[in-house]
Amino acid sequence: MKINLQSKLKKYFGFDEFRPGQEAILRHLLGNQDTLAVLPTGGGKTLLYQMYGAVTHQRVIIVSPLISLMQDQVSRLQYLGSKRVVALTSALDFQEKSIILNHLSNYQFIYVSPEMLANDQVLRRIRSLNVGLFVIDEAHCISEWGPDFRPDYLKLGKVRQLLGKPLTLMMTATATKLVRRDIIDHLDFEDGDVQQIILPVNRPNIFLAAKILPNQQEKDQTLIDLVRQLHGAGIIYFSSKSKAEQAAVALTNQTDRRVMAYHGGMDNQRRFHIQQQFMDGNLDIVCATSAFGMGIDKDDIRFVIHYHLPANIQSYVQEIGRCGRDQQPGLAILLYEPNDRYLQMNLIDNTIPEAGLLRYLYRHPKAITDDDQFRVIQYYFDNDYSLDQAAAIFDRSRQRRITELGSMVQYIYHDGCRRDELLKYFDEKLSTEDRNQNFCCDNDVDFWNHWQDFNDKYLDQQDDASKSVSRSWHEVIDQLFLSKN
Amino acid sequence: MELGILLLIFGSDRQFRRVKAVKNTLRGRRTVSNLYWALQYGMLDFVDALHGEQFGDDQKTLTALKSQGLVDADDAFQIQLTPKGITQQQQYLNQLMPLKYLAIASKYDVAKFMQRFSFAVQIVSEYSYGNSKYYPQRIDYFEDQLLKRWFVQNKENDLPNHFHKELNDFLGDLGDDHLADTFTESLIGHHFSGLTADQIASQHQVPATIIELQWLQLYGKLLTNLLSLPKNNVFSMLTADLEKPIVSNSARETFDMFLRQGDGNLGLISKRRKIKLTTVYEHLLEAAIMAPVKGFPYQALISSDLMGQLRAHQPENVGDWNFQDASHAIPNLEFFQFRLFQIYRSKSTDED
Repeated sequence: MKINLQSKLKKYFGFDEFRPGQEAILRHLLGNQDTLAVLPTGGGKTLLYQMYGAVTHQRVIIVSPLISLMQDQVSRLQYLGSKRVVALTSALDFQEKSIILNHLSNYQFIYVSPEMLANDQVLRRIRSLNVGLFVIDEAHCISEWGPDFRPDYLKLGKVRQLLGKPLTLMMTATATKLVRRDIIDHLDFEDGDVQQIILPVNRPNIFLAAKILPNQQEKDQTLIDLVRQLHGAGIIYFSSKSKAEQAAVALTNQTDRRVMAYHGGMDNQRRFHIQQQFMDGNLDIVCATSAFGMGIDKDDIRFVIHYHLPANIQSYVQEIGRCGRDQQPGLAILLYEPNDRYLQMNLIDNTIPEAGLLRYLYRHPKAITDDDQFRVIQYYFDNDYSLDQAAAIFDRSRQRRITELGSMVQYIYHDGCRRDELLKYFDEKLSTEDRNQNFCCDNDVDFWNHWQDFNDKYLDQQDDASKSVSRSWHEVIDQLFLSKN
Repeated sequence: MELGILLLIFGSDRQFRRVKAVKNTLRGRRTVSNLYWALQYGMLDFVDALHGEQFGDDQKTLTALKSQGLVDADDAFQIQLTPKGITQQQQYLNQLMPLKYLAIASKYDVAKFMQRFSFAVQIVSEYSYGNSKYYPQRIDYFEDQLLKRWFVQNKENDLPNHFHKELNDFLGDLGDDHLADTFTESLIGHHFSGLTADQIASQHQVPATIIELQWLQLYGKLLTNLLSLPKNNVFSMLTADLEKPIVSNSARETFDMFLRQGDGNLGLISKRRKIKLTTVYEHLLEAAIMAPVKGFPYQALISSDLMGQLRAHQPENVGDWNFQDASHAIPNLEFFQFRLFQIYRSKSTDED
């Protein structure tokens, strides 16, 4: 079957061109070949299965790990024009869940969390439907070697069998060779069964820079200097909600940029306002936690600053990938002071149970089921791992995270090419012709003494005319409702 | 919302008021004790008006209000406004619409209406521009289904004009452009992303809590306007099922059974409803507090003889009468009847 995919792309989504890799992946899927796709953030993963659904009129099940991510994806799919979309997550109450399950056949795109698929009732209901495409998003979660291992993902091989081995698309933004191997193995594929499309992680239009500051005061001052002058829209990432809020206030008071905080602790309406303002260009800078990004469709973000270092290089690459999607120059800056490392160490301690807690929970299993944060422990407990085995696994997991954090810190202290250092983790090398010494990283050029020149030369100055002017209520309602008369 | 601002708005310079009772009244904790204090503070119209809101820490708020000289506080976490507190209260009240518009949120789920209406505005706004590519707001599943049904049923009815006209009338009638602007900033639509409460607050130099209260009042008023339109108008579905019960369902059941039974045998009600006798008392007290004084059969529960004794011994302010003193004066007095009498007298005075 030869389909003119370009014309379908235009027809369904109004785009003239595919992003790199999209067409090849779609051709594999339409040729009924299971596919593993490694596409960078913003590479248009959603469009792949949405287009498959549009072209074949088949039902698509998408397994996705995070509820917040899923709701963003539902919005995104609706944004791109699909209305028969639903998400089955633990965020639903009993009544909502029963109604959705009873009407599941009305939906073409069904998002489901791996935990939900572990529920017999849900699985039975999905088995009764015809599934055209089974999508596993964030497929790296299946790998114990990946940074975001989720035990429930390990059951997906079995789920796929139970669904009658439907055509499967595995997607991730970052996966090393080892992780890709794990994904294929755990889903019970033979090596040759799966087509792999791996797009380069490298984003040549993003300049990489990092700065080590002696203390927090100097880091704060550097941030203010940067925000005051850097052109265009930007995101500043923080590991703590309260610091994101404090920084938003400080930057509002000390610069003339329009800055707001955004994090998971805010109510939906407020987050929605901020997200829309940022996309509409009524806000210059968002001080965010990692909760921000997925639902953002903004191509002209010029810079991403990390005020706190992320937990690992994979996360860093994902987060800086949000700038420069329009292929224009972008800037990624990481600010670091030596104490920042301990913040991440605390996060590791808080997410991985220590031996004493584990021992207690093994003796009082009821406490495990009562609390959602113990899901991983529950998995090992339910699958008859002994206390020693589980403790050893968590210990390894802790060690792995510490090693990953070490690599992140090493990136900051690295005095060679930062791009090489980043790409090393994805087994990727730059060819000589891809190398651009003038626009690569702050170790190749003297960025920090001349960053204002870099700013003027590369980062687009926003047209101030686009800045919001306050409007009267009369003007607002005239603007909101276009009159046909 | 900032608890300090709410305590000032609902505080008094003539009465010490329990911090917890004020807070729990606003967020709708319907214990008999809370409702009783709400009655004494004249706050029954505001029960549950700020349902689901987060407030600050009691102790910190109290310390801050005291240190600013706005309230006097006693050891039992009760506050009374100082003259400076009254000035501040007046300032807040001047920034708000009359408080009766906040009371609408006690009878209707105004917060839910606000989400619904704001989402409907986004849908209609994008529709009026023929744009189907936009990020819809997030709302729970049932609300989402309701909005879809509403839109499908009404999209042929020239919704953009209806919305424009309704909002134009509503905002024009406010006679306050400042408030009208605050309302339109809460909206989201085609190339319009509105403002958050704290963004408006910093523009207007007022606390964000004031903006949030103004929004509740404005949407409450808008809801009342829409409810008064002739039946089956294009907004009907957006205003459906928002009414809140005045008493809890279980208290209503007990009260209805009591009225039907007619013999005042509370033990029988306890048996039939499979609830404790003390729970029957609580349900009846809740009903008495929330019903108008003529709507509750006090005489069936307090004999005329006992009523006479209670009247004879009651102090000037019946709300402050304590049970120990009363039972000293009237042997064999039960707390249930004592409390019922207090409610009866307080409500009679209020309603006079």
